[in-house]
Amino acid sequence: MLPLGFLAVAALAFALAALTLPWIAGELSGHYYHPRILALTHALTLGWITVTILGASYQLIPIVLERPVWSERLGRWELAAVTVGMLGVVGHMAIASWPGLVWSAGLVAIGVFAHVTNTALTLRGLERWSFTAGMLAMGFTGLVLTTLFGAALGIDHVRAFLPGDFYARLHAHVHLALLGWVLPVVLGVSSHVYPMFLLTPHPSRRVVAVQTTGLALGVPAVVIGLLVAPPLAAAGSLAIAAAVGAHVGWVVAVVRSSRRPAFDWALRFLVAGTAYLVAATAVGVALAFGVVSGPRWALGYGVLVLGGWASLTIVGMMLKIVPFLVWYRVYSPLAGRAPVPGLADLRWAGTEAVAFVALTAGVGTLAIAVGMADTTAIRAAAALVLVGALAFAATLVTTLHHLLPCPLRAAVRPS
Amino acid sequence: MTTPATPTSGVTRADIDAALDTVLDPELGMSVIALGLVYGVTITGGDVRVTMTLTAPGCPLHDVMTQWVRTAVARVPGVAAVDVVLTFDPPWTPDRIRR
Repeated sequence: MLPLGFLAVAALAFALAALTLPWIAGELSGHYYHPRILALTHALTLGWITVTILGASYQLIPIVLERPVWSERLGRWELAAVTVGMLGVVGHMAIASWPGLVWSAGLVAIGVFAHVTNTALTLRGLERWSFTAGMLAMGFTGLVLTTLFGAALGIDHVRAFLPGDFYARLHAHVHLALLGWVLPVVLGVSSHVYPMFLLTPHPSRRVVAVQTTGLALGVPAVVIGLLVAPPLAAAGSLAIAAAVGAHVGWVVAVVRSSRRPAFDWALRFLVAGTAYLVAATAVGVALAFGVVSGPRWALGYGVLVLGGWASLTIVGMMLKIVPFLVWYRVYSPLAGRAPVPGLADLRWAGTEAVAFVALTAGVGTLAIAVGMADTTAIRAAAALVLVGALAFAATLVTTLHHLLPCPLRAAVRPS
Repeated sequence: MTTPATPTSGVTRADIDAALDTVLDPELGMSVIALGLVYGVTITGGDVRVTMTLTAPGCPLHDVMTQWVRTAVARVPGVAAVDVVLTFDPPWTPDRIRR
């Protein structure tokens, strides 16, 4: 149940972020450095994306690393710390209360430290370091650095001590989170689970080498470059683009060669997320080389990354993980003893379809609308995203209701 | 690695395959037979040994699938005992899926 606890908190954060979107259309047509946009961004990056990955890792690490998590009890304390800390960070950002933000960030840091400790002790003594294990290690290193960087930015608001340009630090923090934390985890986990979903081979050694090298060179170059040497950031963006290109090429190949009989909505979300990754990378490289610039392009880029690539990928993963967790808990004890539903029977395909159309179209429209600074268009696109988020929530509720006691299941369940 | 049924048990490979065809991967909706997860079946009198694999080592369905196979085969008339052996040598590949 530990992963489900994290995923429930993350889904609520996503719903909360989607609910606020139409109401901050005015702010989204202005500059991105605004308390409410910062709050929205952290509801997504911290509440939605990070909490999902932390929870999913408690489900996926035993599969990927073929060993149990070191301590589930520590994971429960971590969930409490991260949830309260995330709410504090988002709330204090929305009202621009920096001392409260620092204390909340400290709580998040404690939760992150607990997770990294748990993962490190799980990885201890691992004999065969697969690509996925390496990417997880890289990602959790990025998470620690992002958390420390974010806490330092918060403290700097209370008592200035950081050198250099404010926006350079802000941009470096954002890219450390996206490229140093989220991207390695997504690349690493997808290389392991996409073949399980699609019944295809794992990525070749060459593809894996390009992704590893691209991230190992690109992430430090982009972050350090944004802080002190812009040309280095441009070079780093090319290395990141190479890693992304290798990943996308592999995803296209496995989708085309899939042996799976039916392509469900979860897989469509994963493919749509990959398509948004291509668009986000193209805009990111253009920003790094100065081909495009300014807050409008930066906001559009943010929407493509957070709302497009990261969110659609997470929705797809969640539509796979949640039904599995529920099935495993409720129906696996009955397998072979009574007819049991498949995972597809635990989903609501109608709401999944609505979520897919509304989220993929809504995010694309929102990226264009914020780029044009058109408040009316932003509000309309935000409403579409909200419809998609609510449909996604309805799908999850449909699945989770199977956890409720059922007399028939109780009759067959072993005592 | 298939052994024909002994005259006394009456259990045939076709009976066992039919039973295994009811064991479904819940995510994929395909049976262990269709996925090519069954590497061999040995029938000795009423004793049946199923050697099988999973799509990936560390698969979270490890215990569920082996128990499901054991239960399904045990229901075949004439089967006295079932032994399920899980192996990852050779590892499963998509080429094993039945067309």
